[in-house]
Amino acid sequence: MAISDVREYMHLTEEQVEELGRELDQIREEVEASRGADDAAYINRLIRIQRGLAAAARVTLMVTPHSRKTRVPGAVLGASLLGLAKILENMEIGHNVMHGQWDWMNDPEIHSSNWEWDTAQPAEQWKHSHNYVHHQFTNVLGYDNDIGYGILRMAREQRWNPANLGQPVYNALLATLFQWGVALHDLDVEKIRKLEKDPAEMKRQLKQIVRKGRNQILKDYVVYPALSGPQWRTTLKANATANLTRNLWSYVIIFCGHFPDGAMHFTEEEIEDETRAEWYLRQILGAANFEGGELLHILSGNLGYQIEHHLFPDLPSNRYGQISVRVRELCAKYDIPYTIGPLHQQYGQALRTIIKLSVPNSWTSDDKPPQPPAKPDAPEAPPVDKGRKSDAERPPRRSELGAWSRGKQAS
Amino acid sequence: MLRGLSRDVDPVSAPFAWETGPDGRRELVGTRVTQCALSRICGACAESLGRPIAFVGDDLEVARNAFHAPPLHESCAEALAAVEPSWRVVRTAAFEFVRPTSEDLDRRPVFQPSALLE
Repeated sequence: MAISDVREYMHLTEEQVEELGRELDQIREEVEASRGADDAAYINRLIRIQRGLAAAARVTLMVTPHSRKTRVPGAVLGASLLGLAKILENMEIGHNVMHGQWDWMNDPEIHSSNWEWDTAQPAEQWKHSHNYVHHQFTNVLGYDNDIGYGILRMAREQRWNPANLGQPVYNALLATLFQWGVALHDLDVEKIRKLEKDPAEMKRQLKQIVRKGRNQILKDYVVYPALSGPQWRTTLKANATANLTRNLWSYVIIFCGHFPDGAMHFTEEEIEDETRAEWYLRQILGAANFEGGELLHILSGNLGYQIEHHLFPDLPSNRYGQISVRVRELCAKYDIPYTIGPLHQQYGQALRTIIKLSVPNSWTSDDKPPQPPAKPDAPEAPPVDKGRKSDAERPPRRSELGAWSRGKQAS
Repeated sequence: MLRGLSRDVDPVSAPFAWETGPDGRRELVGTRVTQCALSRICGACAESLGRPIAFVGDDLEVARNAFHAPPLHESCAEALAAVEPSWRVVRTAAFEFVRPTSEDLDRRPVFQPSALLE
């Protein structure tokens, strides 16, 4: 739906939307003004812990395979430590550093310009596919390639195709091989399929992916196993387990961010005209949080605060918890949905959507929360005109990316 | 050609984020400005940004610490400023990408350097 059609937002006047924007600006300014040594200490400490875990894992896997007594427990311990290190590096460190959350420190190493992370996708391509395409066009069908990663039908507005019957299998493969799926993400499979991709650009990107992927494979499946000598197989299996653990974990966390039932999709075509306040609103309505303790939030890169991350992608992630209290209050004040639930519930809803949308819409019911009734104090009042076109006022349009089609036309 | 553009990119004669308008003047392309801001690529050469990050602008933009042109490599900024005498170069470690509000007469986003360097 277009922003103009979102019932949750239609009760707000233009002035109220702008006031909400000013209140969110105020939060941003306060956090920026108070950024300092404690925040720098947090990220430096986390990087030290992550590197310590990675070093301990590599040493454990080099030393323990040589004795029968220590081989199995050593492999389990090494794989666990390495998986943990990779999760921390990808989620709380790499992802957030590349957003520029720590650029203000002017640290030559911890900077969005030069951080390269421990996964197959080149950082440059991540910054395009994630920081730009996903964060600028959040949940906009036909624009945001994170909606189903080009292989899953994740919105009822997307046209059903018999190939969608395989979704449960594609989903399992995507989860298992997540780092490789992400590695290919910026190639934009849909553009390639429609022959719209510039061949020169594709060649340039493929070169980067092959180089980065080769280095990842060499590191985890050749060099470190070789350092274990005759017991190289044990280390290779442990490294593969660590990568699998990281893949499954990051897949679950990312799918909890935008696919639980409360997160909305949009077909907005006037994104260029969006005001800051409207952009804020779309971020709130299109994202979903999950609840948990501090450790869970750190291990998930603070993406349990997905709404706050989308509102302020370049503020330090360790502040999202405190920001979330105020954002939630604002949502209550302006009567805007704030989607949140336990991790298992949020992922369960995303999985249910994947399975349901593998068949035509008419076979299943929609799990999106019912739209709220009109305000009791203005039951007959028409929606506030914000000067933006609704879906009904736009010309019909269907994009083959995700093959979405609007409303009743979707089968 | 780079990043899907149908023309070659040259940091000075054909910078990524600008196109020549019908009146022969260079104009910023809004979508590319946003792309540079979020993808963290240089608005002139379209390669990944480095440290420090540089901005170019006139005296007013410098005084307001709010620039319309996207982030640049230091060397690209200096090369651009050399051919546009009214531009000054400002160096920073970080910047904020500020979208316009409905009250802004100028509906272009601006960049606010937030960790200025000497």
